[in-house]
Amino acid sequence: MDKILQVKDLNISFHTFSGEVKAIRGVNFDLYNGETLAIVGESGSGKSVTTKAIMRLLPEHNSEIKSGEILFDGKDLTKLTDKQMQKIRGHDISMIFQDPMTSLNPTMKIGNQIMEPLIKHQNMSKHSAKERAIELLKLVGIPKPEIRINQYPHQFSGGMRQRVVIAIALACNPKILIADEPTTALDVTIQAQILELMKDLQKKIDTSIIFITHDLGVVANVADRVAVMYGGKIVEIGTADEIFYNPQHPYTWGLISSMPDMDTEDEELYSIPGTPPDLLDPPKGDAFAPRNPYAMKIDLEQEPPFFKVSDTHYAATWLLHPDAPKVEPPEAVKRRQSQYVGTVGVASGAAKLEKSQSPGIKEGK
Amino acid sequence: MSNKEITISKDMFAPAHIDPSKSEKISKTSLNFWQDSWLRVRKNKGAVVSLVILVIMIIMAFVGPLITPYAYDDQNTKHNNLPPRIQGLENVDWLPFDGTLTRRNGDVYNAYEVKKAEDSYYWFGTDNLGRDQFARVWKGTQVSLFIAFMAALIDMLIGVAYGAISGFIGGRTDGIMQRIIEVIVGIPNLIVVVLLMLVLKPGIIPIIIALTITGWTSMARVVRAQVLKFKGQEFVLAAKTLGAPNSSIIFKHMIPNMFGVIIINTMFSIPNAIFFEAFLSFIGLGLQEPHASLGTLVNSGFKSMIAFPYQMIIPSIMIALIMVCFNLVADGLRDALDPKMRD
Amino acid sequence: MAQREKLLEIKNLKQYFNEGKPNEVKAVDNVSFDIYKGEVMGLVGESGCGKSTTGRTIIRLYDATGGEVLYDGVNVHGKKSKKQLKDFNRKMQMIFQDPYASLNPRLKIADVIAEGIDIHGLAKSKEERMERVYELLETVGLNREHANRYPHEFSGGQRQRIGIARALAVQPEFIIADEPISALDVSIQAQVVNLMKKLQKDKGLTYLFIAHDLSMVKYISDRIGVMYFGKMVELTTAEELYKNPLHPYTQSLLSAIPAPDPISERTRKRKSYDPASHHYDDNEVIEFREITPGHFVLCSEKEFNQYKAQSKQ
Repeated sequence: MDKILQVKDLNISFHTFSGEVKAIRGVNFDLYNGETLAIVGESGSGKSVTTKAIMRLLPEHNSEIKSGEILFDGKDLTKLTDKQMQKIRGHDISMIFQDPMTSLNPTMKIGNQIMEPLIKHQNMSKHSAKERAIELLKLVGIPKPEIRINQYPHQFSGGMRQRVVIAIALACNPKILIADEPTTALDVTIQAQILELMKDLQKKIDTSIIFITHDLGVVANVADRVAVMYGGKIVEIGTADEIFYNPQHPYTWGLISSMPDMDTEDEELYSIPGTPPDLLDPPKGDAFAPRNPYAMKIDLEQEPPFFKVSDTHYAATWLLHPDAPKVEPPEAVKRRQSQYVGTVGVASGAAKLEKSQSPGIKEGK
Repeated sequence: MSNKEITISKDMFAPAHIDPSKSEKISKTSLNFWQDSWLRVRKNKGAVVSLVILVIMIIMAFVGPLITPYAYDDQNTKHNNLPPRIQGLENVDWLPFDGTLTRRNGDVYNAYEVKKAEDSYYWFGTDNLGRDQFARVWKGTQVSLFIAFMAALIDMLIGVAYGAISGFIGGRTDGIMQRIIEVIVGIPNLIVVVLLMLVLKPGIIPIIIALTITGWTSMARVVRAQVLKFKGQEFVLAAKTLGAPNSSIIFKHMIPNMFGVIIINTMFSIPNAIFFEAFLSFIGLGLQEPHASLGTLVNSGFKSMIAFPYQMIIPSIMIALIMVCFNLVADGLRDALDPKMRD
Repeated sequence: MAQREKLLEIKNLKQYFNEGKPNEVKAVDNVSFDIYKGEVMGLVGESGCGKSTTGRTIIRLYDATGGEVLYDGVNVHGKKSKKQLKDFNRKMQMIFQDPYASLNPRLKIADVIAEGIDIHGLAKSKEERMERVYELLETVGLNREHANRYPHEFSGGQRQRIGIARALAVQPEFIIADEPISALDVSIQAQVVNLMKKLQKDKGLTYLFIAHDLSMVKYISDRIGVMYFGKMVELTTAEELYKNPLHPYTQSLLSAIPAPDPISERTRKRKSYDPASHHYDDNEVIEFREITPGHFVLCSEKEFNQYKAQSKQ
């Protein structure tokens, strides 16, 4: 599989009233052709900032990309001018946001909003753009597209609006689609429809998707690979099966155990104590240590590097160091690991403990 | 991210002691609303400079008439229509403080010598009755500012009360109260004011009444809009479920959250009031002699505008300066108090 | 099933907005159910189904258009004296959804929490008042020194806990939680839910838990009611609802929930719901009927017999 996007050692800070907030502290990941990569994390983890950085949509006056590269199509996106980025946005890389109410211009007809990228990027005539727009509306499942194309956003329901937003994003068949919590504001049944639609379109258009969410159920539904972010860094990355059935990082354990599912009995739901770190003054060592019941002395001193669990699975936790003691993950995680043994045949909890050469750099495929 | 290869000893992997209370700790210092807003206002250079100028003017309005040897209503007809002359600055040619006037044919002459008043110094000159302009201008500023502040204050009180009641009660009552506002707004302001001044004798109180009778409507509308917004907010609903009486909800919950909007509206209405008062005086409906307000000064100065321009220019500059400064300060406050612009 | 005491009886509750006008909205349309002392009653449904409105009508933030809400046998609605209303305020409290809008930004936390104490005169001196505030802060897992801070300094989860402390200050018996965790991150949701469970045990509280996240509702609730467009379509224990959903809307809702389990996700089939699929005749009576003990479904006579037959198997 080829890599379509490479993010290398990205460091981003915000200059605020109270000082410098180090929002992204060394993020590395690749996006492969045709896959869906889910980025999971809570508020403040840096998932939205990362993707906005890819699109160069961060506010200019107080954000700064301190170091790192974003390689796409042979170019480093961090070094492009705004004019050059404009050619890429909507054409090669598209983005859809969380709130369908505010993503659409309330004073423009839907048709014009869909035609805009077509006319600007692909130099289509108004007539051909209109035809393509009707095609796109059909593709995203909006009935009577010839009539709806002349309507305004307020005449559509929330789910329909999100479909229109998807249509606009996919108008130019972009290579990458970034979806920032696209279904969080929607009802469960509408969410299910939109997720089905996105998976369907991905196959048809062969685009790669970066899907940001905090809902692990949605991740399990759409993702091929998952990156878990905490405190401005990726703490664990792997295929969906690996992350859900053989997680290695205590934060991932915490996330998985704090979501009840059908089998959760009346025992107390495991909850991660405390609140996410203040990135104004990032803690020394592992950012998760203050909330980590498995924390060791070294977690307070040094940030853990990525440890390789398999060719596709890496976790940044000192628990995977050969000298670390063996720990029992929470019940919910143990149950899943036994499932993993059944399906994949890897001994539960046992990871191939090879420290990668340089901290934070994932060994490539 | 440290890249050093520190030798990692085995004991580093012993469990660490995590203090659970630390996880809820908040490290930033606590700032209340006013402290927070002040930090923001400080950033706006224009607002800060204007604020300084305003403070100086307000101080001068009280101190000014005291530091000059002449009272504001002392007439000395022998010394009438003298141009400004300041000791020390009188020899600087390009400044207008040398006591000279220019005749229509271009001749420059020293008016103080002509009127045999070489020993007197009138810093802003004198008017046609020989009264010291410096004292009169600052006295006028005092009066104008007083009228403007009082009018703004009363407008605020009436407007907030009216808007809060209208918005809070809602329904029919709200509808009627709003229609009343619309009627008031629909009648031309000037006509109401002029009629009032004809009925009441001219004076400071009647001017204030005239200004406030229609000035409160914009504050009332703004406050009502805010009250309507807060009515559905969860912290107000929470207060209701706790059993808070309506008065507590309005005064403890809603109004403190509206301070920003109220202050800004009041600030903007002050230059309005200053201008209106000046206008009234200019058309002769304002204060009468010997009382001075900036408007009456401009009015009397207007009559000798061509021969003695300084008599009109100086009070006009004062009016303009006050209005511009208040507008800049209000603008700066609006940016500072706007919650949407929080970092 | 032991005979339990009823704390609340909601009978034929109606909340119509703009009644009689062309834009009439039947937000709550003839809903009836009971809440027993000490239980957690869950109320689920999608946006617009009327669950929040039901909660707010029960606590009398809105006056009911029709029907009754009996708390311990006394109707909450209707003409009441100030004292009677204040009594209800002490017995029933509410926790709100938006942690960022549910606290007055200009009050210190101590004043936020102590508001109920002040209104009902529960503390006799300033020291006693502050002691109560500190106690409540510690009960919800915050530090004493937080009492002097302002809401904007706290995270969403912490604010929600402050909201819980505020509700507890008047020592209520019944708490309506209106989507208390929807606006919170996943790991914080678990914190708040665990806190609520603990408080229920320690203080013997009864909850009405309104939410749209079915997995969380199933975890915390004893019984669950499902609402759809102002009507309650199914009501039964949490276990039963998941094992044996009878109403087609409930089935479609359950089939749409994504589970954090890639293997099951790959095979999950979603059911969609079309209200027209019932094919009700004009003269059919659609009522809330009991299929098996404790399991109620909104259905016609025909469907009732169908469901009864299904349940026998």
